[in-house]
Amino acid sequence: MKVSLNHIKKYIDLPKDLTVEQITYDLTVRTVEVESVENTADKFNNIVVGKILEIRNHPNADLLKICITDIGKGEPVQIVCGGSNLYKDEYVVVSLPGAKVVWHGEGEPVEIKKTKMRGETSYGMICAAEEVYLDSFFSPADEREIVDLKGVKCTPGQNISEVVNMDDTVIEIDNKSLTNRPDLWGHYGIARELSAIYDVPLKKLPEVKIDTSLPKYDVEIKEPDKCNRYIAVEIENITEKKSPMWMKALLVNSGLRPINAIVDITNYVMLAVGQPLHAFDRTHVDGKKIIVRNAKKDEKLLLLDNNEIELTEDDLVISDKESALALAGIRGGKKDSILPETTGVLLEIANFSASTIRKTGKRFDEKTDSSIRYEKNIDTKRVDEGRNMALLLIKELFPESKIVSYNDVHPNETVRAKIEVPQEFLDIRLGKTLERKTIERILKSLGYDVDYKNNVYHVTAPVWRSTGDVSLRDDVMGDIARILGYDNFQETPLNIQVDHAIIQNNYLLERRIKEYLSFRCGFNEIYTYPWADEKYIKAARIDNSNSVSLSTPPAPELSTLRTSLVPGMLQSVAKNLRYYDSFKIYEIAQVFEKGEYHESSDDETLPIHKKYLSGCIVGKNAKNIFYELKGIIESMPTFTHSTALSLDKKKKPSWADKNAYLSVLCNDEEIGTISLVSIATMKDCKIKRTNVAIFEINFDKLIPLSSRTNKYQPLPLTPLVEKDLSLLVDENVEWKAIENSISSKVNSIEFIEEYKGNQVPEGKKSITLHLKFGNKNETMTSDEINDKMNTIIKTLDKKCGAKLREE
Amino acid sequence: MEKKLEKVLNQGLEKIKEIKSIEETQDVRRELMGKKSPLNEVLKTLGSLDKDLRKSIGMKATEIKNTLAKKLDEKENLIIESKSVLSSPLDLTLPGTKIGSGVLHPVTQMCYDLNDAFLSLGFEVFSEDDISSEKYAFDNLNFAPDHPARQMMDTYWLKGTEDKPCNEKLCLRPHLTGASVRYLLKHGAPARFVYPGRVYRNENADSSHERAFFQYEALIVDKDFSFSSGMVMIKTILEKVFGREIKTRMREGFFPFVEPGYEIDMQCVVCEGKGCSVCKHNGWIEVMPGGVIHPNVLKSAGLSPDEWTGFYINIGLERLVMMRYGVDNVRLFHSADLRFLEQFK
Repeated sequence: MKVSLNHIKKYIDLPKDLTVEQITYDLTVRTVEVESVENTADKFNNIVVGKILEIRNHPNADLLKICITDIGKGEPVQIVCGGSNLYKDEYVVVSLPGAKVVWHGEGEPVEIKKTKMRGETSYGMICAAEEVYLDSFFSPADEREIVDLKGVKCTPGQNISEVVNMDDTVIEIDNKSLTNRPDLWGHYGIARELSAIYDVPLKKLPEVKIDTSLPKYDVEIKEPDKCNRYIAVEIENITEKKSPMWMKALLVNSGLRPINAIVDITNYVMLAVGQPLHAFDRTHVDGKKIIVRNAKKDEKLLLLDNNEIELTEDDLVISDKESALALAGIRGGKKDSILPETTGVLLEIANFSASTIRKTGKRFDEKTDSSIRYEKNIDTKRVDEGRNMALLLIKELFPESKIVSYNDVHPNETVRAKIEVPQEFLDIRLGKTLERKTIERILKSLGYDVDYKNNVYHVTAPVWRSTGDVSLRDDVMGDIARILGYDNFQETPLNIQVDHAIIQNNYLLERRIKEYLSFRCGFNEIYTYPWADEKYIKAARIDNSNSVSLSTPPAPELSTLRTSLVPGMLQSVAKNLRYYDSFKIYEIAQVFEKGEYHESSDDETLPIHKKYLSGCIVGKNAKNIFYELKGIIESMPTFTHSTALSLDKKKKPSWADKNAYLSVLCNDEEIGTISLVSIATMKDCKIKRTNVAIFEINFDKLIPLSSRTNKYQPLPLTPLVEKDLSLLVDENVEWKAIENSISSKVNSIEFIEEYKGNQVPEGKKSITLHLKFGNKNETMTSDEINDKMNTIIKTLDKKCGAKLREE
Repeated sequence: MEKKLEKVLNQGLEKIKEIKSIEETQDVRRELMGKKSPLNEVLKTLGSLDKDLRKSIGMKATEIKNTLAKKLDEKENLIIESKSVLSSPLDLTLPGTKIGSGVLHPVTQMCYDLNDAFLSLGFEVFSEDDISSEKYAFDNLNFAPDHPARQMMDTYWLKGTEDKPCNEKLCLRPHLTGASVRYLLKHGAPARFVYPGRVYRNENADSSHERAFFQYEALIVDKDFSFSSGMVMIKTILEKVFGREIKTRMREGFFPFVEPGYEIDMQCVVCEGKGCSVCKHNGWIEVMPGGVIHPNVLKSAGLSPDEWTGFYINIGLERLVMMRYGVDNVRLFHSADLRFLEQFK
């Protein structure tokens, strides 16, 4: 919303030394966010009033004249002009050298320079309205017509911005910050805030007495829930007229287009007090009756631009006996418009319920200056302010006009909120004790009535804040704090009450796992969207039947909410392969599936949520990356202080290679998988010339250890014997069998390497392992060592068919 | 004989001088003082000399032996001192071996930084699920049924629930604030907790708008609490992010779940409040909303507004990361692009 500082000054006398910067700061901090400030006179620099003293023909051009023009300083100047309406003693608009004008009203502004036109010097330019931003103020009869200031009070040399009341400062306020403040959608409301901020009096709005003997205009409100009040004023002796400069200036500076005096008055009043008005040509209201009713089924309304809109039974319309005239509170129809031949008007000053306007406005995706105000929930008392100001302006612009009938139908009235605010409440919540007179001063300047009794402020909120904005003592406290300015409150320290340390093991486990994967294992953490791409769900062969989906997804293929992190992983792998051929990535996020789950209360049923951890290693050598990943998962519990995991071959994940997958188990429960990604899945994901080892674990099933559980082991008193063994076994003998066969005989057994190939016979493989063993109390003799080794080798042979490999 | 000894000494010293390596020292030592050395020859013949001569030649020979031994030791030490473990000099300009570490996502890093700060103030870390009902996302938070703020947030509703009542109409949460009521229902008051998480808005993505982004919200609920204590939370966040005290201002702002509500601005860190292009020439940058928890929200959480009050703040984590590192495109955070992520090691 745009606010004219000139107009604000009609309602308050601001402190003399107050700068615009200070006003915008104070408004921003205390009331609403100022987005920008514009000095509207800036663009009229060097554009002044001129008086044509003499007109001569141009020696070299028929259409051009030489105008000797008084520009208010010293000698008159010579200006060449091609205007069609030049005459002696005409007051015109002159752009002097340095001024910026828009040629023929099109394109970027161009700077005027002293120049020669067909050999004759021209000191500036006599301008048409559109060339100097005045097309809202003057309308030319033909395109060669320049602005004629006849009848406008002005003197030569005067800057044109003063003449048309454009010497103003316009403050633009962010509409978002006005959402909850219906009272601020007019200048008077902003003036009231400034009066409170600067402690200066706010002038009263004019009152108008309505002659009670006037005949009643027939108004019927069929939907009293939707229309709280409707005033109809029938006025005759109206003529076609343009509005005065000062009125046009406010409209222009507020972003509205002047039309004619009647329409301009309705807009001016709306800008001034925030009350929308509507004027009908009274002859367009058939049967001299206004009916406020719901639209009928299949009813249509023809708009000014000849578009027809289809109404529903939810839409509120203003209708005469025959048909709908206007969409209530939003916009008028073609039938109701004010025309040049209009001689009498029916003025509507009404109050419609916010939700009605909002619903209809949303359906037509339309916001008008009127609906945007009604939407905020205006109080019914504002109707009086709008009516009074409008009637005074009509009398002023149309002195011969006359009110011929009137009605005020008032089904609902905004009731001022009564609130009790204990002194103690304010002291505690504000964090400091304010003097009673400060509190009363602030509240009264905002329009509250205050009565202080027994340490309690009995407060009556102003009617313009009583439509929902102010209803609680907290609201009153907020008003006091903001007008005083938050800068004026000292920070006060937080109270600390320590009764126990905060230990959140699940949070800590997530953090330890992320740090383990990132810092120890070299993984990069990624985030992907919760909506999974169909292509990758299919590629991973994931059964989608149990998933939940979005009603309006970001794209048609993104409607499924993920049941697994794997599709997102695969997509990220494919993406990064453009720049990297080996890398590791992981993600922790929630996945979703159909089901019933109550997170906070029984009346709320949500789908099943699970937090998953997934990651992958991308690299050429499938075997290497698989074992690397296996090692990372095997070591994770140790490094992250969580319950041990084991790995076992169970069900194959749908994306896994048939020869390389294992389930991750925790306390015998399957909680995840690790695997190589199958060739088929990689092909569908366009993952080429590399391999992917991938894991996915249900994070919720990982159990953090409440403390560290590993036990100290005394150091051995005698050194252990360490031996490497190279064995030759059948290809199908698993490591686990070898390990199990001798684990009871040694202190530790460690796998070193596996070899298959030319160096060993076909069908065999070589396994190298490292053993540690010893006696508890004394060093082993070489005989003892040999005996031990023989036993071990014999056992290996017996249980696994392993032979010592001949070097 | 003495001349012979002189010669042995001089030749010996000459030889020692020419030594180049440790191996040569050993050779020369053997040559000069070994069994077959001229010196040893002389010492062997001592027995055949007469007593006086034996004594003087003996002393002389011993002296020469000691001198040579000392010189050899000196030479040997000299060579060891000048020795290198390397056969040839290194190119010291070659890069060192890379540390093979991955990264935490920059949003995670920011989140952990803030968690550390808030944990030190006695806050808990809480999280809510991504899908919420309309009741918890809006109704509990004092959003009127047709309030414009509800329309402002274009929410991702779940298919098949759009027309259901608010407790069954489901969405990807549009903000974190719903979690505050969940925590309070579960744990009661007093409470102080943070609840970082991802939120979702159905809007068109561009370099400054995303459909999924992270917020960080903190709430204190206590008795006899003033918003002026809430300012400490604001200070905590900004000091943690920027490493020094940052000047802030609170100004009037409207959010349904707070009363009063604030927009919190920080003084522009680029121009220190003088005005520059970063702060659009007004010296302040809007960083976070905050405010006093609305009595109706306390009621939703089963707490009496007469007894309890509190203070919220909420900040966008991507925005903080963008300010910290100068990132200019918010869509990078969900891109999984390693060229971006690897910069935050």
